[in-house]
Amino acid sequence: MEKNERPAAGESRGAAQPRGSWRWPKKLSSHLRPEAPLKLSRLSPVIKSKPVALMFQVLNKYVLTAPTSTDLCMSHYEPTLWFLWTCLLLWGLSEVEEKMGWRQSLQGADVPMARTIYLNEPLRNTFCKNSISTAKYSMWSFLPRYLYLQFSKTANAFFLFITILQQIPEVSPTGKYTTLVPLLVILVISGVKEIVEDYKRHMADKLVNSKNTIVLRQNAWQVIPWKEVNVGDIVKATNGQFLPADMVLISSSEPQATCFVATSNLDGETNLKIRQALSETATMKTEKQLSSLSGKIKCEEPNFHFNSFMGTLYLKEKSPISIGPDQVLLRGTQLKNTEWILGVVVYTGFETKFMQNAVKSPLKRSKVEKVTNMQILVLFLLLLVMSLVSCVGAIYWKDRYRAEPWYLGKKDYHSFGFDLLVFIILYHNLIPISLLVTLEIVKYIQALFINWDEDMHFKGNNVYAMARTSNLNEELGQVEYLFSDKTGTLTCNIMTFKKCSIAGIMYGQSPCFISDAYEFNDPALLQNFKNDHPTKEYIKEFLTLLCVCHTVVPEREGNNISYQASSPDEAALVKGAKKLGFVFTARMPNSVTIEAMGEELTFEILNVLEFSSNRKRMSIIVRTPEGQLRLYCKGADSVIYERLSEKSLFVEETLVHLENFAREGLRTLCVAYIDLTEIEYKQWLVMYKKASRAVRDRIQSLEDCYDSIEKKFLLLGATAIEDRLQARVPETITSLLKANIKIWVLTGDKQETAINIAYSCKLLSGQMPRIQLNTNSLEATQQVINQNCQDLGALLGKENDLALIIDGKTLKHALHVEVRKCFLNLALSCRTVLCCRLSPLQKAEIVDVVKKQVKAITLAIGDGANDVGMIQTAHVGVGISGNEGMLATNNSDYAIAQFSYLEKLLLVHGAWNYFRVTKCILYCFYKNVVLYIIELWFAIVNGFSGQIIFERWCISLYNVIFTSLPPFTLGIFERCCSQESLLRYPQLYRISQTGDIFNIKVLWIQCINAVVHSFILFWLPAKMLEHDVVLQSGYTTDYLFLGNFVYTYVVVTVCLKAGLETMSWNKFTHLAIWGSIMIWLGFFAVYSSLWPTIPVAPEMTGQGNMALVCPHFWLGFFIVPIVCLIQNVAWKSIRNTCHRTLLEEVREMESSGVQVLRRDSSQRSKVEEVNLQRSVSPRPCQVVFRNNSVDLGAPRRLFAQVAGDPGCSGNLGARSVRRCARCGAGRGRAGRSSARSESAGVRVGWSPGWFTESRRVLPVREANATSEGRKQAFRGAPEVQARGAPRQPHPVPAPEKPPKFAAPWTLFTNLGPSSPTGLVRDAGPAGPRTAGEQVLGGRLRGAETEVGAGVCTGVCAARACEFAREEKRPETPSGIACPRTQGWVSRSRARLFRGGPSSRLFCAGTRSWAC
Amino acid sequence: MKRKCQDYESRLPDNTAMKQQQLPAFRLQLSANEILSGFFAIGLFCLGMGIILLLSAKSIREVEINYTAKCATCAKLREDATNFDKECNCSISFYLPQKMEGNVYLYYKLYGFYQNLYRYILSRSNIQLVGTDVKDVRNCAPFKTSDNGLPIAPCGAIANSMFNDTIVLLYNFNSSTHIRVPMVRTETAWWTDKYVKFQNPTFQNLSSAFAGTAKPPNWPKPVYELDEKDPGNNGFVNDDFIVWMRTAAFPNFKKLYRRLHRIGNFTEGLPAGSYSFIINYNFPVGRFQGQKAVVLSTLTWSGGSSLFLALAYLVTGAVTLLASFSMMAVHLKLKERKTFFLQ
Repeated sequence: MEKNERPAAGESRGAAQPRGSWRWPKKLSSHLRPEAPLKLSRLSPVIKSKPVALMFQVLNKYVLTAPTSTDLCMSHYEPTLWFLWTCLLLWGLSEVEEKMGWRQSLQGADVPMARTIYLNEPLRNTFCKNSISTAKYSMWSFLPRYLYLQFSKTANAFFLFITILQQIPEVSPTGKYTTLVPLLVILVISGVKEIVEDYKRHMADKLVNSKNTIVLRQNAWQVIPWKEVNVGDIVKATNGQFLPADMVLISSSEPQATCFVATSNLDGETNLKIRQALSETATMKTEKQLSSLSGKIKCEEPNFHFNSFMGTLYLKEKSPISIGPDQVLLRGTQLKNTEWILGVVVYTGFETKFMQNAVKSPLKRSKVEKVTNMQILVLFLLLLVMSLVSCVGAIYWKDRYRAEPWYLGKKDYHSFGFDLLVFIILYHNLIPISLLVTLEIVKYIQALFINWDEDMHFKGNNVYAMARTSNLNEELGQVEYLFSDKTGTLTCNIMTFKKCSIAGIMYGQSPCFISDAYEFNDPALLQNFKNDHPTKEYIKEFLTLLCVCHTVVPEREGNNISYQASSPDEAALVKGAKKLGFVFTARMPNSVTIEAMGEELTFEILNVLEFSSNRKRMSIIVRTPEGQLRLYCKGADSVIYERLSEKSLFVEETLVHLENFAREGLRTLCVAYIDLTEIEYKQWLVMYKKASRAVRDRIQSLEDCYDSIEKKFLLLGATAIEDRLQARVPETITSLLKANIKIWVLTGDKQETAINIAYSCKLLSGQMPRIQLNTNSLEATQQVINQNCQDLGALLGKENDLALIIDGKTLKHALHVEVRKCFLNLALSCRTVLCCRLSPLQKAEIVDVVKKQVKAITLAIGDGANDVGMIQTAHVGVGISGNEGMLATNNSDYAIAQFSYLEKLLLVHGAWNYFRVTKCILYCFYKNVVLYIIELWFAIVNGFSGQIIFERWCISLYNVIFTSLPPFTLGIFERCCSQESLLRYPQLYRISQTGDIFNIKVLWIQCINAVVHSFILFWLPAKMLEHDVVLQSGYTTDYLFLGNFVYTYVVVTVCLKAGLETMSWNKFTHLAIWGSIMIWLGFFAVYSSLWPTIPVAPEMTGQGNMALVCPHFWLGFFIVPIVCLIQNVAWKSIRNTCHRTLLEEVREMESSGVQVLRRDSSQRSKVEEVNLQRSVSPRPCQVVFRNNSVDLGAPRRLFAQVAGDPGCSGNLGARSVRRCARCGAGRGRAGRSSARSESAGVRVGWSPGWFTESRRVLPVREANATSEGRKQAFRGAPEVQARGAPRQPHPVPAPEKPPKFAAPWTLFTNLGPSSPTGLVRDAGPAGPRTAGEQVLGGRLRGAETEVGAGVCTGVCAARACEFAREEKRPETPSGIACPRTQGWVSRSRARLFRGGPSSRLFCAGTRSWAC
Repeated sequence: MKRKCQDYESRLPDNTAMKQQQLPAFRLQLSANEILSGFFAIGLFCLGMGIILLLSAKSIREVEINYTAKCATCAKLREDATNFDKECNCSISFYLPQKMEGNVYLYYKLYGFYQNLYRYILSRSNIQLVGTDVKDVRNCAPFKTSDNGLPIAPCGAIANSMFNDTIVLLYNFNSSTHIRVPMVRTETAWWTDKYVKFQNPTFQNLSSAFAGTAKPPNWPKPVYELDEKDPGNNGFVNDDFIVWMRTAAFPNFKKLYRRLHRIGNFTEGLPAGSYSFIINYNFPVGRFQGQKAVVLSTLTWSGGSSLFLALAYLVTGAVTLLASFSMMAVHLKLKERKTFFLQ
């Protein structure tokens, strides 16, 4: 289809679709994002007709012609109706809002409707303009649109409702404008923010729209701005220019009408792409030719797929010609290496693919936000309850006094409804009016902090982290499931050609000598080539293939050739070949030129059978310089091997090599070729042409067609490319695991490669049992999963130290409705899940399934187009802004440059933001409840008449001024503990992860606290003033005097409470807390002397003068806040004592002067530190591992590297068979010491001096015992593994009958130090169990272990032997018969079914105490 | 995503502690020492303060006489609104065992009168009272205008319901000599009220200033006749009126009525002995089940005689001390076990 599309990147790219041609899988869009198209269709009727319009009518009728006369609104039914209407309005608005949140411009791409463009007939082409506007508002639409959006927020709508209510005469105790003004203030603040943002967009649009381009008009070239370009125009663009619209290439300055474009704006790919005009139009270059052009172009409707285009060109008196994506130049791309091009515009403005793609990702809401909404609802209910109580109180009061007292004058009663409204208005401030805007600002600044963070600045490409949305900041602190892509996310995605196997001979140095920087470097290859080794021809063919079979574009700069490739694999291969003397020098549309050892050869390219994730291979049909027709193919081993001819040689050897490559974590490709005969080719060409013209399922028929010629391959060999791990990935993963984040790797790559990467990034450890699921059918999958679930038994659903490995094919069945639940149960019981060979759809699907099933916060991280689905599906999507283009980044919520920055993003920013936001919200609730419940207390005194106790403007300014600053400092500057500690103790993350500090229960506690406070705050001053004369000269006071007392105390208490909540006070905190109190006192003094000069607040006159000199005022000023807050302090102390949290411990340690290294300086010592910290890590130690149902072996190369993995140290006591000791030297307990150190270890481990010396806290004997035991166990272990070493009779004889559920570890204690080998490095704090498992692992995997050598001891070993015995694996050097482990594993699985429970081993450890 | 180089360069210098969230901060870490010493300090201070307050409250002399029951006949008379023009006087004698030293204040006290009702408080016109527009009666419902349509001055329910008993204190020097205790009727209201918030309309003649307005329906005489002897105490700026207009927070409240004029026998205060109140009983309280009282009181530095604040301090102090003692006990006990209480 498209030559320049990403070709056979090969198997190693796995399921990655060609990046450019990423499209939303149809199934996905219907399955995962039902909202997008669905909601849209539902939206318009809602706006247009339904209840909303009805409500607006109602509002118009009743609001705008609101009854102004007193009598009307006194009527009995009116207020109730008001209330109902407004409720209706609220409901309607929230409904609409739901729908507004979703993207609006997503088009259904499945309805290809033709559009016809007439050439040189501008009047017949009426399509949208080319001017674009990405702005949200225009000058005129701003106000209505903005107001609409604002009032569709429930809280704002509520306050609007209150404002409207207040306009009813006499209903409002707080005046008419006291809600309106704060609401306006808040609207103005966010309005200004919107305007500023929108202004930027307007400016950007203007700049774009006024760019100039050259267009053919009236038979002459004219310079016009972009916005005036129309569909059907013929545009001329010159080198380096950006293209103004999507157009079809007519001709270009280059031979064969080709041109190059850079598409980095669109997809971020940095390579140039070739476009070529149709040969029929290639000659049309002059104005005259162009003006005389007549005909039409029929093409599909605008859509957002970059790399699909279907059109047909109808030229007069010529047969229709099909136009493909090859002829299309897109808006936003830049012309390169081409003097000029001519094109006819097909899509303009919003209909261009560029703009179609520029839709925002769906609005995500954080969990905290949802909880907050819930809590606001709770407050609303509280408000209703209070209002009702007050109404009842009013009735009771009236009843008691039978009639209204004479001093009120005429007897007029209000209806119950009227009273209710009065009280609703009175208490409405319970719902914090400023919360939304406060949060908005707070989160905005939090996002800035993320953007500013120097620790997340990648010097390599100078990229900072970017928060693309700010409303998920706190969600970062709650992540429980992390779904990670592998390539480019865990790895660098910088490919280096490391090894190859040609004609059964492996070239490339052995792994131990490979230094990371070095590429392929094996003189043997060239020697063989030069010395006429029998395989010389193969080597030549192999290297030629590498040079020819690809879609790389060379760029010459002087003598240097740089390669522009869409896939890094290809570039790596071409570069590798260049090093070996086969240089790819030039690419013409129909040929490539190479320099093979100095000899220039030109290959004519006949066809490119491009790469797709389905095919997993790419082929190229060439005519060699000798005239021979040849098909070169490179691709995944699985697809190549299927197609090998029987005559093919070196099949077995290459297979072994492939296996080796995969074990080293290299990405492998097989290369093969076949010589074609002319007849064969011609026959095929006919088929090909037919397929390429197919209207329906063109892609499918093309693939079928390709398939028909890609067969009977002759194998040449295999290549191995290394994709290095990114920096600090293992550390990051260890950290995240400790933070109780479950990491699932979802990759398109091969299972072996994935497992290897998982090992090297410490996701899997040597002793971690693995469950591998590789099946082919639904039934088998179901059976295997059920079996595994059964085996897990009681441990199902808990977190076990298990790894689950599943491939895409099995996953398809596993996610089948019937199996899904079981599968999830199984998967969620494992600590690590590895999904290999997944399609993008499957990635998204699995995220979605987990998200729905577990109700935990999920985070997806990826860098490529194939990750977009899961990034958008997960609660939080993180894009790696790396080499793979911008698609992932553009669809993500946060973009970071390196995987390791995730650590800081989650553990520091996430945790901090969570603390901040939740504290801010709770505090906002608290302060409002405190102030406004006081009205209820006052109502008890004033006969439930609805009188307010405070001055009305003080009430409204409470949230806007007097207590507005503390929430900000809480939300912006609060630090639960330093970032060093957060990184050092990832366990701290669990505090925010579990969400225990923010839920409905916490809200209720906070509310009760607030009620208690308000009780004290009202009744203390009330009793103080009730019977007494407090002023000098015997003056008496009034209700507002009391109100001002109370108000002052409230402000002081609430500000100090913020101080109490603040764990770290910086200068802003001081400013906010003391400043707020001072502001109120100052305001109080000034405000009470305004009347009558400024006609506000007559009732405040003189209050300040009197109160501020009143001794009682200051006496109360001291005692009232103290009485309120001292309980909080006492409560805090008690709680910290009885139930001291990890956070408290860490904080204590920080403040007790333990030197906390600055992070930058500690970077280097990080690794040691990590090792040290491990001992603190409370690892989930519940381990089940199963006789042979799980694969316990680590790949051999990595065995030695699994050092320092914090396994569970063995607990040798028979008493604790099922218990696995906690890990780590510091608290590790070996053998008999378990009981004692259990108590000591827990507490002592955290005491301040712990860092410096662990022995200080552990009895010396124990510590020694621990490390000794470990060493011994380790010395014993590796030898038993017998990796490569000749087998020896095992010193321990096998027991006759393995006891059921025996303590398996006793087995290993006997191993003793007798074993000589020191193969395994000190495995850190991993205890004897590790050793035990390694033994087992060695047994299971180590093929050289001779069966029945009499070394089997105990249950595990016995099992292992039995397993190995039965296995009867064909002896191959690597020990694995088949590179596809499927067969092997399924056989072992079969045995599992027979195994039965007798061979179960349990090691259920206690969970961590720390969190 | 990639930021431009210049952008980067310009960002480097302000890579501040603030932006990196490294601002120095004091961490609120409540250690045992801090908490315990804080609790002790607070407890001791509160106890001390409570004792001082208690002592000073004890030094106050106060006499309160509830005369609703004692003037039962008058009270009964006032139940019926038609008797509004009938005078009713009532005399209550009492004995002052100790002299009241210093300034003595005479209050009237009302029980069960809700001056804090929403519609009651609302029913006044501050614009009228400040003298700018006598005819502004906007918020005064239901006492806006008189029956003949004239705006009421002062309008509204508060003004209309002004306390209108007159209380005179007689000192019974002996059984035959009754000296009227000299009382000052001014300076009973806040300074700001008297001189800022309440102002008569500026006219030569007070009565002409109020021309075109009606007296409140319950008042026997118009506002400009409240105190004809003292022009500075007449009209809106009448102290009794102003005091009444400052609406109380509670249904039981007292309001300053008179101050002792310390001359003659009363230079030192009120000497001990027998006194009697002569009350011209006008204000009806029976209809809202209220009561009336008259209060004589002295004051100290902190104000009146209520013990509440003193008690609040004492209780807080005691509880805090108790808490701190028990916390210390636990702390010490745990310290032995090397697990720390209160870090």
